Parts: sequence; structure tokens; C-alpha cells
Amino acid sequence: MTAILFDGIVQGLQLSLLAVGITLIYGLGGVLNLAHGQFAVAGGVAAALLLQLGISPVLASLGGIASAGVLGLIVDRTLMLPAYRYRGEERLLLGLILTLGFSFIVDGTLNWKFPEFSLTFRLPVPLMDVAGIPMRTASLAASLIAVLTFAGLFAFLRLTLLGKSIRSIIENEVGAELCGIDPSRTRTLIVCLAAMMAGVAGVTQGLFSSLGTEMGPEFTILGLLVAVVGGVRSINGTLAAGILLGIVNAFASHYVGAYVAYIILLSFAMATILVRPAGLLARFT
Amino acid sequence: MRKCADIAALTLVLAFLPAAAGGSPYYLRLATLALVYMAWTVAFNLIFGHTKQLFLCLNALAGTAGYVAVVLAIQLKLSPWVTVPIGVAAAAGLGALFSYVSVLRGLGVIFLGIVTLAFSLIFHNLVLGLRQFTNGETGLVTRGLGFPLLERPVAGYYVFLAVLLAALLVYHLLMASKSGMAFRALSDDELTAELSGIDVTGYKVLAAAVGSAILGLTGALFAFYNGIVSPSVFSFVGVDIPVLIALLLGGMRTRLGPVLGAVAFALIEELVRPFGQLNVLVYGVLLIVLFTTFRQGLVPVLARASAAFRGTRAPAAASRPAREG
Repeated sequence: MTAILFDGIVQGLQLSLLAVGITLIYGLGGVLNLAHGQFAVAGGVAAALLLQLGISPVLASLGGIASAGVLGLIVDRTLMLPAYRYRGEERLLLGLILTLGFSFIVDGTLNWKFPEFSLTFRLPVPLMDVAGIPMRTASLAASLIAVLTFAGLFAFLRLTLLGKSIRSIIENEVGAELCGIDPSRTRTLIVCLAAMMAGVAGVTQGLFSSLGTEMGPEFTILGLLVAVVGGVRSINGTLAAGILLGIVNAFASHYVGAYVAYIILLSFAMATILVRPAGLLARFT
Repeated sequence: MRKCADIAALTLVLAFLPAAAGGSPYYLRLATLALVYMAWTVAFNLIFGHTKQLFLCLNALAGTAGYVAVVLAIQLKLSPWVTVPIGVAAAAGLGALFSYVSVLRGLGVIFLGIVTLAFSLIFHNLVLGLRQFTNGETGLVTRGLGFPLLERPVAGYYVFLAVLLAALLVYHLLMASKSGMAFRALSDDELTAELSGIDVTGYKVLAAAVGSAILGLTGALFAFYNGIVSPSVFSFVGVDIPVLIALLLGGMRTRLGPVLGAVAFALIEELVRPFGQLNVLVYGVLLIVLFTTFRQGLVPVLARASAAFRGTRAPAAASRPAREG
């Protein structure tokens, strides 16, 4: 029982890590990024390529995360420009199609260049005891990384001026612009940051089991579900929703099987949109 | 009668296509597949083009009809003549339900997109999970279930041609009647349409139900024609993306756009086939390029070109810019 709960929290942190980027890009850029999982996979593949060159795992991981960030930067400065010319629903629709197209390009390229390619890290100590429960060291390490990343993000958003300006744009883009904040530069920064967080999720997936080039769409969908349940504008909500859905998924997978678990997650997201469009936890955050 | 000249010409060309293919089963199958995509795109034009409802579950709607028809035929030993209408009704009901709920809850384009995408995934996992009925990933053999007509290549081609013409006829009747006026009004501005007394909810649900019924009919017949029905037959990348690209290629909110777009898409598919896995990459490039630079589609461009050729102005209906919203 407790083991499943822990497992769910570990999974949930990974889901939050994926989803928070979608939330940030939606809140700040007004674009629902359907290529978010592909950022994670691209980061993981870059890390694996660096590993092959004989670079130490830690440096290779950092390199992979940085590559995801660079990819995000490029996407924001080139591909998304036509979408940013519009506002509101028009921008959302165009952004949705553009990122969907980009996700196909990334998937197609990766499957073509690196078929049957995967990223796996092996840790020296496979199991550790936590509160009497044997836990995989990899899970603990991945969770630690996720928690540290989130702590960094929250500190950045709460304590720095740049972070505050980012939150002001999420609140009201026009208002922020009137106060002298340049939304376009801040947006580039946030897309880059979101892509890097996806890269972290991609690299830590390599810690858990292995990251394959075909996992992009799955990552995108899971991230999207969590972002929707958390309320696509609330970062706290996304973190909470990720852990909640991780736990739900862990219990459902254990008791009723993977297919039904996935259906439960999807229905959860559908119901959230229909019943509480601002997010399941909108009232509490 | 001049209004229907394009459809008559199209019918003539398509009716003689099997003869032109020279009995090659490969090309005949390609042509039949193109007909299937044409009918699907006509349906999507109604749903997304005219009433701006972004359904990302075309595969699930076509697949629901297909699986319902096949599974009922196998499990209850019913004739496909009974099960196909049940499947079509199921698809139409689901489409109408999504449309109604989205209007009721005031979901924008994006949230309807997410809800329908989630449904598409639920459908996929249900098919995989309900192994005792659907045989999971392997799929079900549909040959010999009582549709001998669809198992002969040439006859199958003409069945799908009939389906396409029926879909175009329904489309024509809808657009020529009061509902066509309503579709045009609400695709320009929903609020204004509502204020001028148009029942926006009703027409949106109507478009979604009719579109889903066309999707379902084509999907159910395709399940029987294909000889096997499996999750990969009705995959998101195999149905939704080609249909979206074909609609953009041909031109949204035009009568012939879906047909021309599906032909153009089939040609592009055939060109990239030698490169194997690359088709996904090509889809991505097409989506981006079409949506950023070619949002009008082929039909308005061709209409203008032919008008310039004749030295006259194109008729207003044909050259109405497919401004996208």
C-alpha cells in the first residue's frame, strides 16, 4: 500500500515536471504546446549522444537539458512567430497546429536518424531502504531532482524581479506591457526554461527505465492531462495535479491494469474541463 | 444546373477511374482509399470548416462505427446491413454529444480539441483493453461477415464512390438550405449570429451529427472493405492528421476543396512512400507550411486562376475567400 503510494508520488513528480512547462507556455505565451514531450525526448537523446562521446553522465545530462533549452529557444524565435502575431483564440489555434506539426517533425527525424535508440543510466546502488520500504535509488534520485527543480522554479518566480514580471504577464499580458515589461523577451525566456524542465524530465526518465525516441507523444499527452487537471494557468495546481494523478495512476495500474488506468486519467481530464475548466484545485491556489 | 457542373464532372472522372487504372489492384486500392479520405474530409469540412468545432477524434468516431458494426456482426451474428446503421448512429450520437456539451459548457476551440483528443485516446485504450471483443492490437478479420460486395475491388470502389457522392449531396442540400445560411453566419461571428436569431447550438450540433454520421458510415464500410479492423486502421496519425491536411490543402468551406485536397494528399503520400518512415516528418512540414502560408487552400486559388483565364470575375460563391477563424 505505502509502496504504491510512494511509487505514485515519484511518478507524479515526473508528470508535474513535464506539465509545468505546458502550464508556463500556455500562461505566458497563450500557446498550448503539443510538442512538449518532444522537447523531453530531444533532451534525452542529446544526453545519450553526449554519453556516447565518453562525457561523464552528470555533464551529459546537463548538456541534454541545455540542448532542450536551445531547441525551445529556436522554436520560440522562429516557428511560433506567426502565432504570436495573433491574440486569443486565433493564436491558440495556430499555435496548436504549429506545435503539432513540429512534434511530427521531431518524431519523424528522431525515428529516422536514431531508430531503436535509448537513454539509460545505471546507478551504483540499485536499492535503498526508506522508512522500512525498499525503494529504487533511481526513483529517489529522480524525485530529488524534480523537487530541486521545482524549488528552483518557485524561488525564481517569487524572489527575483524577472520572476515577478513573468507572473505579472501570466496575470494580465496587456497590463504587464503597460508597466514596461516586454512580453516577447520574457516569453522566449519562459519557453526556453519550460523546454529545459522538459529536458530534465526526459533525462530522469533515463534514470527510471529507459527513454526511447518514440515516447514523445505519450509525454505530451500525459503533460497535457496534468496541466489541464491542474488548471492550465496555475503552477501550484500543476504540481498538485501531477502528484494526484501520479497516485491515481499508480493505484489504478496496480488494481485494474494499465489500460483502465489510462482511461481513468483521460476521463479525469475530460471531466475537469467540463466541470471545472479553471482546474480541479482552482479554489485552493 | 450550372451550380452542379463541378460535381457532375467529378462524378464522370471518378466513375471512369477504375477503367483508367487498367485493372491494377494496387492503384484501384489507392483510388478507393482516396475516396474514403475524401468522404472523411467532406465531413470534417462541415464540423471544423463551417462550424469551427475542432474535433480531434475523427479516428475515434469512424472507428467507433467500424468496431460497433464489426463486433455486433461477429458477436450477435447480425447482418452488416443491420450493424452498420447502428454503428453510424453511435458515431453520430457521440459527435452530437460532444458538440452539445461543448456549446453548453462554453468550451473554446482548444478545450473542445483537448476533450475530443482525450476521447480519441480513450477509444484507443478501450479497443486495446476490451480484448475479448476486439482482439486487441491484432484486430478482427472482417472478411466473410456478409458484405461480399465490398470484398470485390471494383465493386468496393463504386460503393465508396456512392458514399462520397451521397456525402456531397447531403453537404450540398445543407448548404443550399436555411442551415447553409446559418453556417455561414456563425462561422463569421457566433455572437452576432445568435443575436440575429439563429439557433447557434442547434446548427452546431446538426453539423457535428451529420459530419459524424458521414465519418461513421465511411469508417464502418471501410472496416469491411479493408478485410481487417485493428487500432492501427483508425489511428490518430492515420485518420485525423491526413484529413486535417487534406482540408487545408483543398480549402476550408468549399464544396470541392475536400475532394481536391484528398487527391493532392494521396499524391503526396505516394511520392514519399519510397522513403518509408519519413511520412510523419512530411505531415509535420505540411501542417506548418499549409497553416502559415496557404490557409486558403487550392480551390479559391484555382477559382481565381480560372476566372483570370476566362477574363471574367469568378462567381462570388466560388471565390469567397476562405478566411479562417
